[in-house]
Amino acid sequence: MLVIWKILAMHFGSDFVLPPPEKTFFTTFKLFTDSHFLAIVGSTLIRSIIGFIFSGILGMGLGIIAGINPLFNAFLRPVLVTIRSTPVIALILLALIWFTPGSVPVFIAMLTMFPFICTNVTDGIRSVDRELVEMAQFYRAGRKRIIREVYIPAIIPFIISGTSSAIGFGWRAIITGEVLSQPEYGIGTLMQNAQTFLNVDAVIAWTIVAVIIGYMFEKVIRWSEHKLIAWRF
Amino acid sequence: MMNLEIKGLYKSFEDISLFRNFSINFPEGEITCILGPSGCGKTTLLNIIGNIIRPDSGILNGFDGKVISYIFQDPRLLPWKTVRGNIEFVLNKNLPAEKRKEITGHFIKLVELEGFEDFYPGKLSGGMRQRVAIARAFAYPSDIILMDEPLKGLDIKLKLNLIQTFSQIWQSDRRSVIFVTHDVDESLLLSNEIVVFSRAPVNILTRQKVEMPLTNRSPDSEYLKRLKQILLNNLGT
Repeated sequence: MLVIWKILAMHFGSDFVLPPPEKTFFTTFKLFTDSHFLAIVGSTLIRSIIGFIFSGILGMGLGIIAGINPLFNAFLRPVLVTIRSTPVIALILLALIWFTPGSVPVFIAMLTMFPFICTNVTDGIRSVDRELVEMAQFYRAGRKRIIREVYIPAIIPFIISGTSSAIGFGWRAIITGEVLSQPEYGIGTLMQNAQTFLNVDAVIAWTIVAVIIGYMFEKVIRWSEHKLIAWRF
Repeated sequence: MMNLEIKGLYKSFEDISLFRNFSINFPEGEITCILGPSGCGKTTLLNIIGNIIRPDSGILNGFDGKVISYIFQDPRLLPWKTVRGNIEFVLNKNLPAEKRKEITGHFIKLVELEGFEDFYPGKLSGGMRQRVAIARAFAYPSDIILMDEPLKGLDIKLKLNLIQTFSQIWQSDRRSVIFVTHDVDESLLLSNEIVVFSRAPVNILTRQKVEMPLTNRSPDSEYLKRLKQILLNNLGT
């Protein structure tokens, strides 16, 4: 890939179209040492974490109700499908009208992430093995223990897979949101600035940063999966 | 010994009447086997005894306040709990951890699963899982064990093995056991008395005591072969 990149960069011969890889990596490296780097990445991370927490609460709350109550589920499904199939950009444009620049990405993150968590929690609850619940009732395990020791462990794998897809989509949506809403600090803001000034190497450098962080999220999820559902491995 | 007794039982599902003025008793401290064709209402009777479904009418004597454990056709183990965790699951949480560990260890030893305490069910064979289910049923401080086709679908070697394990634990414990099956050979090997059920609505076709020590029964013994013939004649096969 690097070779193709290098060849293409030489072919175009212009940093405004495609800077060579070594220059881009140098720019990326320079970013890490930039005094605002932590503030920028930190702001985007905090936005995504807040968005994730909200979507987690909303997703689990609605997901649990829908898992228990089929009627509510029937009502919720089309709503979720609508949210999921609405282009992110349309949501952002609306959010720009309604919210302050800093909270637009948070709102977008929440809206893109919560349907994944919600559907997975619902599916998880509905897939709980009736026979195991019955067994626990026969042995008079009590409501609290049945929830804690039968339902929750059965749902956790679903929550993890929901979280994994949610974060994958959410992370990209947050940066898109930042590009358009231009909060003071944010990876998306900086990407947009770089693009305006035709600093292509900086655009790619910030992309690399975003990819690295996304990759780290994925790693954390895989790690917690191994921790939380050790019985599967 | 007191009897566990059911009198004048009525139960129907929609149009099908399973029990019509049906009565039966189970001697306490014995393994009573209910043998009958599929769908005759054996499982329903277990569920009535276990207080899971209500009879339309009828009297149950001697079951009041009795604690019941179950062995199902599937082991029904919690996949996220180890062998030890699955057995501990049925123990009273108020017991001190030491005591729980002791009970669990004792029964793991009896079902010969030492060394597998920390295995998850997914890592065990079918026979081993069913042994965990047996250990769980005995570890639970119950008065009665209800078994619904616990050996169905297992190969003959495993069956004999589990019957042996079960018999040994039962000998040292002598709990009342009600064991439901449609398999004549199983009933002969794992019971003190066999009650043969007809198709629904249920009649008792015959009641046969198996006068033979429970452990080391051989299906080839003349006595069991004769008994088997009687049972088969009653079942009408």
